[in-house]
Amino acid sequence: MTDCPDGLMRDLLPEYAVGVTGVDDAARVSAHLATCEACRAELALLKQARAGLSLGVPRMDVAAIVSALPAPATASRPLRAAPRWTIGRHVWQFATAAGLVLLVGGGLIWQRDRAAPTALVADTAAVATATEEPVAVTPASAESGISFGGGLSDLSLEDLQALLGQMDSLKTLPSTDPESMTPVIAMNEGGTTP
Amino acid sequence: MSETDRDADAQADEALISRWLGGDQRAATQIVERHAQALARYAASQGVRDGIEELVQDTFVRAFHAMESFRAESSLRTWLFTILKRLVLDRQRAERRQRNQVELDEGHAVQEFDALDGMVADEAMLRVRQAVARLSPLQREVFTLRVTEGLPYTEIAKVVGSTEGACRVHYHSAMRAVKEFLSDD
Ligand SMILES: [Zn+2]
Repeated sequence: MTDCPDGLMRDLLPEYAVGVTGVDDAARVSAHLATCEACRAELALLKQARAGLSLGVPRMDVAAIVSALPAPATASRPLRAAPRWTIGRHVWQFATAAGLVLLVGGGLIWQRDRAAPTALVADTAAVATATEEPVAVTPASAESGISFGGGLSDLSLEDLQALLGQMDSLKTLPSTDPESMTPVIAMNEGGTTP
Repeated sequence: MSETDRDADAQADEALISRWLGGDQRAATQIVERHAQALARYAASQGVRDGIEELVQDTFVRAFHAMESFRAESSLRTWLFTILKRLVLDRQRAERRQRNQVELDEGHAVQEFDALDGMVADEAMLRVRQAVARLSPLQREVFTLRVTEGLPYTEIAKVVGSTEGACRVHYHSAMRAVKEFLSDD
């Protein structure tokens, strides 16, 4: 069996045999195969090899495998490495952070004006109760170590970025990733899969 | 597969992982469906004959436990292959210890890969299997990943711990050896 001198074409043949070639490449390979006997022979060999190497491989029982898998982790977070979200996520995180600071800060000012002037360092859980707002803050966030002692204007850019970092680990915040938003909330309420 | 197609494929996996991390258990089924059979083929190519199902299941269990650490620097399938490979090596080491045998000699490995327990199969397919069984372990691994899964050299390199260029050379050397073996008939 002679080898085709077109190395690029030969490199594409295994993917073509498996059927994972892109549309453009597939068309190029098909056109080449029509004129190249060496590649036709190699393709036949590849298909034979693939079938041969699959001999004796048992069919996997998907349901059985899935039944052995752990439930999704309670500390669920969307994928970090998906580059298409990177910019958008940060912008939204920043907006969410700023919004929460304003909301909590506003609540604090309102609370301070209304009642106790000593409440300068906020207990976020207490804030949520006192304001009776449907804010997505639960007692768990009281452990987060985030302090809203000063107003937003007191915070430097570094402070805000540090706050963002802390908020990242705050499990009670809804994700900014639209695909995982609902399940995250549901899990925090129910503690199990939806 | 073009880069665009690969991106789409990787994005499909990433979306499923995000859904699962977000609490959607059905996404796990889809992930398993997409990769289980390829893992089984890879296990077989590594000389595993008994307990392929358990091995593939263990691979998924470990992967799902560590899913939050998956960074998509490689494809999900490549990551799964590397987990399975570690499990196979662990298992082979344990078996070797059990047999009190220092190292599997190459001949033994060939026999393990080649044996089909009297399964009825097409003669031409059996000949190709014999040809592949005679490759070096590394050539066989590269050739199998390329031929059975169509894995790109960049991903094969990550699984076998080599470079893209070296994998390309291994593949073409393997192909030449297979053709020579078959033409010797
Ligand atoms: Zn050709």
